[in-house]
This record gives sequence, structure tokens and C-alpha cells, in this order.
Amino acid sequence: MEILRIEGLSKIFGSGHLEVRALEDINLSVSEGDLVALLGPSGSGKTTLLLCISLILDPTGGKIVFDGQTIFQKNGWAGVDMRRLRREKIGFIFQSHNLIPFLTARQNVLLPLSLVGLKGEKAESRVRELLEQMEIADRADYLPALLSGGEQQRVAIARALANNAKLILADEPTASLDTARGVKVMGLLKKIAKENQSAVIAVSHDERMIEGFDYVYRLKDGRIVGEKTNSTLN
Amino acid sequence: MDLAIYDLKLHRGRFIATVIGVGLLFTIVLAMNGLYRGNIQEGLALIKATNPDLWVVERYRGGPFNEQSTLPEFYHYSVKAMPGVEKASPFIYYTVERQIEGKSRHFSIVGFDVFGGLGGPQKIYAGRNIEQAHYEMVAHQKLGLRLGDRIPLGLHTYTVVGLTKEAVSSDGEALVYLSLPDAQEVLYQRDNEAVRDQRERLLRTLSGQSYLSPSQAEKLLPKLQPDTHIINAILVRLKPGINRAEVVRGIEKWLYLSAFSTEEELQLMLKGRLASMTKQLLLFRTLLLIISVIIVSLVIYTFTMEKIRSIAVMKLIGAPNWVIIRMVMEQSLLLTIGAFLFGLALIHNTYQLFPKTLLIAPGDDLFTFMVAFAGGILASILGLWHALKTQPAMALGD
Ligand SMILES: Nc1ncnc2c1ncn2[C@@H]1O[C@H](COP(=O)(O)OP(=O)(O)OP(=O)(O)O)[C@@H](O)[C@H]1O
Ligand SMILES: [Mg+2]
Repeated sequence: MEILRIEGLSKIFGSGHLEVRALEDINLSVSEGDLVALLGPSGSGKTTLLLCISLILDPTGGKIVFDGQTIFQKNGWAGVDMRRLRREKIGFIFQSHNLIPFLTARQNVLLPLSLVGLKGEKAESRVRELLEQMEIADRADYLPALLSGGEQQRVAIARALANNAKLILADEPTASLDTARGVKVMGLLKKIAKENQSAVIAVSHDERMIEGFDYVYRLKDGRIVGEKTNSTLN
Repeated sequence: MDLAIYDLKLHRGRFIATVIGVGLLFTIVLAMNGLYRGNIQEGLALIKATNPDLWVVERYRGGPFNEQSTLPEFYHYSVKAMPGVEKASPFIYYTVERQIEGKSRHFSIVGFDVFGGLGGPQKIYAGRNIEQAHYEMVAHQKLGLRLGDRIPLGLHTYTVVGLTKEAVSSDGEALVYLSLPDAQEVLYQRDNEAVRDQRERLLRTLSGQSYLSPSQAEKLLPKLQPDTHIINAILVRLKPGINRAEVVRGIEKWLYLSAFSTEEELQLMLKGRLASMTKQLLLFRTLLLIISVIIVSLVIYTFTMEKIRSIAVMKLIGAPNWVIIRMVMEQSLLLTIGAFLFGLALIHNTYQLFPKTLLIAPGDDLFTFMVAFAGGILASILGLWHALKTQPAMALGD
């Protein structure tokens, strides 16, 4: 089932001679459980695309349909509560500094659950389960500052998955990790996303990290210039 | 999930230091509340305890407490003769600084007609009232005297025959009751040296007048000795069923004096001597509360700015605004309420140690708490404003 469809999406920063066309005519369709990778040089618009999909940035033109609902359409706001969509259906993982520094690993994962009103033993056992899946349960009561970069990213993934997000947006989640840790973190993300039937759109510079992804899109100067489908998985 | 508390746990030291600092400001505010109540209570205590129907004082004077008033002693006979007056007693009141048991003490002296006159001590908890025309005194326990103590005041020695603990002077100092002539003597006493000195000066003035012979000057001298039969007020009790206003009109018209009811006398104090103190304390308290709000504001602002990235992350993962508002405001209120409770505990355990009487009233505590609470909300505005305008995109990038 299709979870995300983007049609003719564009994003222009600034105006006049300061105008930057960060995204131009992006068309994309993502289905439940899809692993989608975005590759491209620095400044090609990868981060901008993730921010537009979650309406953290307002696109300039085009249309976005998420989970059967039009959340953006040129010439007007579609009238959706994006904060609510984000906490219920979208998970975020970014390069670094994902975690709230004054909350322990366990509390960081608990936060999105409490935002949707899940409390008590139910919430606690969900947190335990996620931390175990991410192989970080033994660090549950540590503050982020006491965790290594890889451990922090695994907690961030657990948090992104906590509410069974339909879509995970990951912006270079392994950039601050060495290759071995990066591969491990990505492996866990892939495994759990598949189990949950969550779609993942992940940005990376490093081809090794996106091994096994279903689709790979290449961006250049704000446009999709290449597309590869991993037909072995079907 | 209590985000505010989790964050404060991480900044325990700064939080506690601020609670103590702002708490000390609240202590001063609460102390000033008590000082204000205490001042009013003490300023009015003697008037309330004496409580005659009328206070007759020098014309156009708001005496004898709010303003100086002097009358010749014999005027009380004239007042007594007014229709409707049952009793009229001379009354003298002044403040002195004298040596008592080797220490310099500040206190006030009340002189009254000890043979059935108004204005004497109310409740005597030990001993008795003054029964002799001379050399007995009733003292407030603040002076630390015991029954039977013999206290030299000026030229004579007075025996403590009774002790009181209620009424104090309008400055909150101890009161000493003496018979009227004793009180006048203590006020106007002169030793032989001073008397001789004054005689010399008067004689020189008189001798300088060309129309007086030296022997005439000598004869005039005793007539010019200053009059010590001076009082400050006449206390009046009216006959039952008499219209007070009419008696007041009579006294003012025929005796050329002023007369006030006890209620008016209280108002004179409240609008006079006590009013500037009231305004002063109100101003100080307002300033201290404003300073507290500013300090809490700045501390909450720094707390908020330090977690601005966390706030962006929360918005990014979809936290509604009220979660963020609650976090900031809760910290501000925890800080303010913590500081208030610190101040409250401190003042309730130390108010007896203040040199002036502090009258701690639960109503004042409650009112101050409500002002502090409103201040806590106000103090969170700066932080809230920054928190709410933070863009979720700030969570990305370095
Ligand atoms: N807030 C902004 N205002 C103006 N221009 C912006 C803004 N954000 C991004 N841009 C521009 O948009 C273009 C795309 O930026 P984007 O951050 O999406 O690139 P990226 O592919 O994520 O690069 P990197 O690999 O370095 O993270 C760049 O030219 C960038 O300078
Ligand atoms: Mg980027």
C-alpha cells in the first residue's frame, strides 16, 4: 500500500538574485515497508526533501499525499495538524544530537509514547522491547552524554520506531559513526523497519550503508537524476 | 512525564542556589509584612488600651501621640465642668533615654492621676497599680525589671510595684507609668547646678532692664521660673447617653481646645505618623517582588536557552506546544514556590530575633504567595517566548 506520494515538489529559498532552487520537480512514491535511499553530493537538496516531506519546511510547489491524506498542495495549506501527524506516524533520526540530554535513554524512548498518551506498564514494556531490539537495554538508565555515538543513534532509532511510525525519515544517521558501527546501526534499522512494515527514507553519503535498500534515488541540484530498484527483493 | 523536573535534576546546584537567593528576598518581603503589622499594632496599642471617650488636646493639634500637644494642667478642671462630662483626667506622655540597671534604655513615660483618674495601666499581670502619690512605678516587662526593684530616675528613686505586658509606646518601646507629679518631675527635673545657672541667666536679663532696680529684679525672679504643671492631653469619660459631638463642639467653642474620639485618635496615627512608614514598606516590598521576578525570569530564560535544541527536537517529533509551555512554566513556578517556601520557613523561625516586633499574619503570607505565584508565571514569559518561536528545523545541523 502506498504511504507517501510526492508530485512535482519544489522548494525555493530566498528570492531575486539570492534565490536558491533547492528542490525542483521531485516525483516519488513510497509504499509500506519500502527502504528508500537518497544519495547525492552536498547541497543537492537531500535534507531539504526530508524536511519538506514532514512539513517542517513549507514546500514552494507541488503536492504531498501521506497515508491517503493530502498534506500539502500548491496554493494553500491542506489544513492538517502536522505536529500530530509527526508524533503519531513519522519517526525522525538525524545525524547527531538526536536525544534530549536531560532524559535517560529509557525516558527518551518513552517521550513519543507519552506524547500520544501511552502510559504505565504498557509504555514501559514497549520501551524495554525496543531497547532490547536495538541491543541497548543495558544502558537504559544512562543519560545520552554517557553513551557512545553508536549507542546514542540506536536509542534514537528506538525512539523513532516507538509509535510504530509508518514512515521513518533518517538524515545521515551513520555520519558520526565509524563504518563498522554504521553498518550495525543501519542493519538494526533495516531489520526492525521490515518487521514493523515501516517505510524508511534514509539519506547517506556512503553506499555501504544502504546495501539492501529497495530503491536508491540520486539527487543533483535539487533534481532526481538517477533511480535504481533492487529487484532481488520482491 | 515530568520534563521540567528531569531537567532541573541535571541543574540541581543552580536551582538550589537560586531558590535560596530568591528565598532570601521573599524573607525580607515577609519580614516587612510583619514589620508593617507590628508597627501598626504597636503604634495604636496605647490609644486602644487607654480608650477614653474623648482626647482633649491643644487647639488644632493632633496630639498627644501623632503630634506634640501641651496644656496647662489645671485645664482639666474646666473640661470637667463642661456639661455631659463625667470625668476628666490629666495625662502626660513622653519618651526618654535613661540608665536602668547600668544600661541606657529607651522608653516612654505615662503620667496619670493615680487616684481614680483615666489613663493608667490596663492589665497588671504581677503586683498592683500605683497607690501612692509618689515614688511608685508600673513598668512593662520589656524593661526586664522585677517587683520591688528600686530604679533611680532623675532626682528620686522609684519602686516597681506592678508589671504589664500589653500596651507599648507608639514606637514599640516599653512603657513606664508614674503618678502625674512624678512624671512631670522626671520630665522637668533639674539638678542644683542647672537651677542656679538658670537663675543667673534670668537675673541678668532682668537687671538689664533700665526700669527695674536690682532689688525689684531680685523679687521678680521667682515669678519667672518655668511652669512645670504642664500636661499633654485630658482624658474624658462622658456621662451615659450624652451626645459626643455636642460635647466636642462645646469644648472646641468655649475652651478653645480640640477633642477627638478614640477612633479619630487612631485615624490620626494611621494617616499621620504611621502612613509614611506604610508607604515606605509598600514601596520596598514592591521593589523586592519586582527584583525577584526579574531574577527568576533571567534564570528561567537561561534554563530555556540551554535546552532550546531539545525544544526543537520535541517540536520535530511532534510535541504539542502545551508540553513545552508546561515545561518552562513549571520550572518557573517550582523556582518561585520553592523560594517562597524557603522564605516562609525562615521568617517563621526567626521573627522573634528581630529587634522590632514582627506580626506574622497568615493572610499576609497568603497574599504574598499569590503575588509570588503570579510573578512566577510572569517570569516564564521571556523563556516561553523564545521556546515557542524556536523552529523544529533547528534540531538538525550542528
Ligand atoms: N534555510 C535555507 N535558506 C537558504 N538556502 C538553504 C537553506 N537550507 C538549505 N539551503 C540551500 O538549499 C540547498 C540544498 O541544501 P540541503 O541542506 O538540502 O543539502 P544536502 O543535500 O542535505 O547537503 P549535505 O549533504 O551537505 O547535507 C543548498 O544549496 C543549501 O545552501
Ligand atoms: Mg543535509
